Amino acid sequence: MDMEEFTNRIFAIKTTSKQERTVANNIKKAIETNATDVQVVAIIVPDELKGYVLVETPESQARIEQLVEKVAHARTVVRGETTLGEVAHFLVPKPVVSGISEGTIVELIAGPFKGEKAVVKRIDTGKEEITVELYESVLPIPITVRGDNVRVVDRGEAS
Amino acid sequence: MVNVAAAKKKLVQVCRECHRVVEGESCAVCGSSNLSTDWTGYLVVIDPKRSEIAKRLNIALPGRYALKVR
Ligand SMILES: [Zn+2]
Repeated sequence: MDMEEFTNRIFAIKTTSKQERTVANNIKKAIETNATDVQVVAIIVPDELKGYVLVETPESQARIEQLVEKVAHARTVVRGETTLGEVAHFLVPKPVVSGISEGTIVELIAGPFKGEKAVVKRIDTGKEEITVELYESVLPIPITVRGDNVRVVDRGEAS
Repeated sequence: MVNVAAAKKKLVQVCRECHRVVEGESCAVCGSSNLSTDWTGYLVVIDPKRSEIAKRLNIALPGRYALKVR
């Protein structure tokens, strides 16, 4: 028993807008209630992949197309299968501070300083926090914010 | 209606220990009450024994999970 025994395929199913998680739940329900005999063993819904879910299945594309017809908010199967290797990066989401380094110029997009520009002084990858100094402030007070509360404006020359 | 749906989605809690979606005060599997509403990526495991994804993520039980929990 090792990983090499798996012969599952990965298919992408297109969903109606903002119904990705609903489609995943609906597939689970269809299988659990025996509304379909099509087998799916797992479904990934990455936030980055808007409008799609990825199903892990031993079935063929034609069988997944049969499943889609029975699942509300599932629209079509994207032509062609992929492998787990190609979608594995979705299983380990990138830290939100990736792409930000010391000297990067960011805009705060949440909190009391929303809309202000700032320079990144320090990054805590583990906590996914960055410490910034407001750009046009007379007193450069360091502020620590969550990495997803900023938008990169300019990466600077450093990197 | 859209706003209600968005608000509901926000309130879904997951277990910080095992990443399972939790309904109630504590995780039904590991008993932890260390829960979070701050998570991204969603995973539904139907048949963990036959799923390579479940195996890679060390998930042994069927259920709904978050891929990343803060
Ligand atoms: Zn748990």
